[in-house]
Amino acid sequence: METDLNPMTTPQALSLPTAVRFHGGRFLFLLFASLLVLFLTLPLVALILRALPLGLDAWLSQDTLDALQLSLVTASLATIISFLIGTPVAYLLARENFRGKTIVDTLIDLPMVLPPSVAGLALLMAFGRRGLLGPSLSAIDITLPFTVAAVVIAETFVAAPFYVRSAKAGFGAVDRKLEQMSELLGVSAFRTFLRVTMPLAAPSLFGGLLMTWARALGEFGATIMFAGNFPGRTQTMPLAIYSGLESNLDTALALSLILVIVSFGILFIVRAISPKGITLG
Amino acid sequence: MNNAQCTTEFCSLCIVHYEMLSLHIRKQFDAFHLELDLDAPSEKITVLFGASGAGKSLTLAAMAGFLAPDAGRIVLGERVLFDAAGGVNLAPQARKIGMVRQDLALFPHLSAAGNIAYGMKGARGDKEKRVRELLALMQLENFGARKPAELSGGQQQRVALARALAIEPDLLLLDEPFSALDLQTRIELRRELKELQQRLKTSMLFVTHDLGEAALLADEMAVIENGRVLQFATPNEILRAPLNTRVAQIVGVKNILPAVVVAANCIRIGARELEADARKFALGAQVQACVRAERVLLVRPDGPSRIHSNTLQGELLDQESDGNDVMLRFRADGARLQPAQPFDLQIDMPVYVYERLNLARERHWLITLKPNVLHLVAE
Repeated sequence: METDLNPMTTPQALSLPTAVRFHGGRFLFLLFASLLVLFLTLPLVALILRALPLGLDAWLSQDTLDALQLSLVTASLATIISFLIGTPVAYLLARENFRGKTIVDTLIDLPMVLPPSVAGLALLMAFGRRGLLGPSLSAIDITLPFTVAAVVIAETFVAAPFYVRSAKAGFGAVDRKLEQMSELLGVSAFRTFLRVTMPLAAPSLFGGLLMTWARALGEFGATIMFAGNFPGRTQTMPLAIYSGLESNLDTALALSLILVIVSFGILFIVRAISPKGITLG
Repeated sequence: MNNAQCTTEFCSLCIVHYEMLSLHIRKQFDAFHLELDLDAPSEKITVLFGASGAGKSLTLAAMAGFLAPDAGRIVLGERVLFDAAGGVNLAPQARKIGMVRQDLALFPHLSAAGNIAYGMKGARGDKEKRVRELLALMQLENFGARKPAELSGGQQQRVALARALAIEPDLLLLDEPFSALDLQTRIELRRELKELQQRLKTSMLFVTHDLGEAALLADEMAVIENGRVLQFATPNEILRAPLNTRVAQIVGVKNILPAVVVAANCIRIGARELEADARKFALGAQVQACVRAERVLLVRPDGPSRIHSNTLQGELLDQESDGNDVMLRFRADGARLQPAQPFDLQIDMPVYVYERLNLARERHWLITLKPNVLHLVAE
């Protein structure tokens, strides 16, 4: 590598000679990179090729429309709930130091790596008829498992961490001095949060909400465990795709294409609004 | 403005008794002890002057309510903002204190007008009118709609100042507000601030480490080091008569000469007897004579015949210039004046005087220390 006269060399400046040194391996790198891109694209292309020629009845079948409607409603509800209960947690995690902060932090991230089927089983153990809270819930005549509410709960459980993580990063990036200045100007801490902290963290909050919505829309494992797979009641799009594989492949293909387009679009928007990109975990 | 005397046990340096702000705080940090006593006058600019790390910004943080002192009291006019003994610690919202920081902390998502209106109370129309007035006052009429990022450094400063004034504060804190700006803008804004203060009569506490800025702006000035006020007086008084050698060094006195009092009007420096006002000291007392480098007179050896008796001969050792002033270092002939230094006297003069005197040609000069430039301190 060339000796550099400037001791304050930036990483970008350093990467140039490094890239030159790897010039011999460049072909191999390109080859493997192309293989991966191809590997990721091919199935999607195959799906699109099969789904595009579908007739209108596949797109507008009752099963498709039911699943689509249920998914949109439950994913949106899960996103709203995540926003309401996730925002204070994210702010506290970003701003305050308290005992057990690391544990809370880890707990909130856990659903992102936990197999969704485990999440579904855990939800059953907590809210199921014979679960931890089952007797108390049935005493006040509430049954959660295998209802629309269960779908929302399962989706929230799995997807909320995406919002909390993004919001936490957003709040952490807001200069504490701006909040102090607001308070000195006579504005209460809560109104400071609404007028300064939230607007400045808005891109991160919005990006996090989109990610949460997308994750909730695609939720499968926890939903099928906790809410079951009842068409028109708890059968969301991913579940309908799973069932469609056996009964009606056209519906499955149509729903799959919708999900691919929605997911791609959301990732695209998230990347556009946040310059650094919001990591998925 | 009629407080007869300070009431707290901490008060040791109360010189001004017509206070607006009475600040007596103690705070222990890991490696720093803040022990600040200050009684600042109302409707004036009080400057806290000291090097970075002297405790100036901590003091402002305590006044704003971002930092709770361990002990002491902060009283602003009639209002007790903080009283450790009485358990009073007002929230920042309740303090009615404006602040302009070096980093400004303007709200980046709001326009200039939005920033100024941020802390205002009252009806919408009334607020809009006052925002317009403040924009006009700050010469920002056409910039109200712009975001901070679309304004120049000086304009951002004006917005920050207007925002702080908009809540009609009892006291305005300015924490090195101009130090990030270029020299020209800085000079402009200093003058504007001084004029503004004289017009609005807002009480201001201005923190700076720039002596020129301090002297220019201050009605009263506190020299701060290691979390303490070393001297509190008018800038003139501090520059003319620093309380001790530490203050003298901080305010840029270059010549601190060990001396012995010989008579009430005579001291001895390095075997020379010079006329000076030594009435405050006992005969034979060891004192230090503080002499500002720009107040020493240089006389050409072939110059006028009538020269002051406080004159000695010296040789020019070296010189350097910052473009405006030339700093000359002299060694006195005969006994040394400052045995600890490689030179005996530093003399500063503007470049044009240096050129008029043709200083570069001549190495031997007569140096006159008039009695009124010899300020004696005990330590």
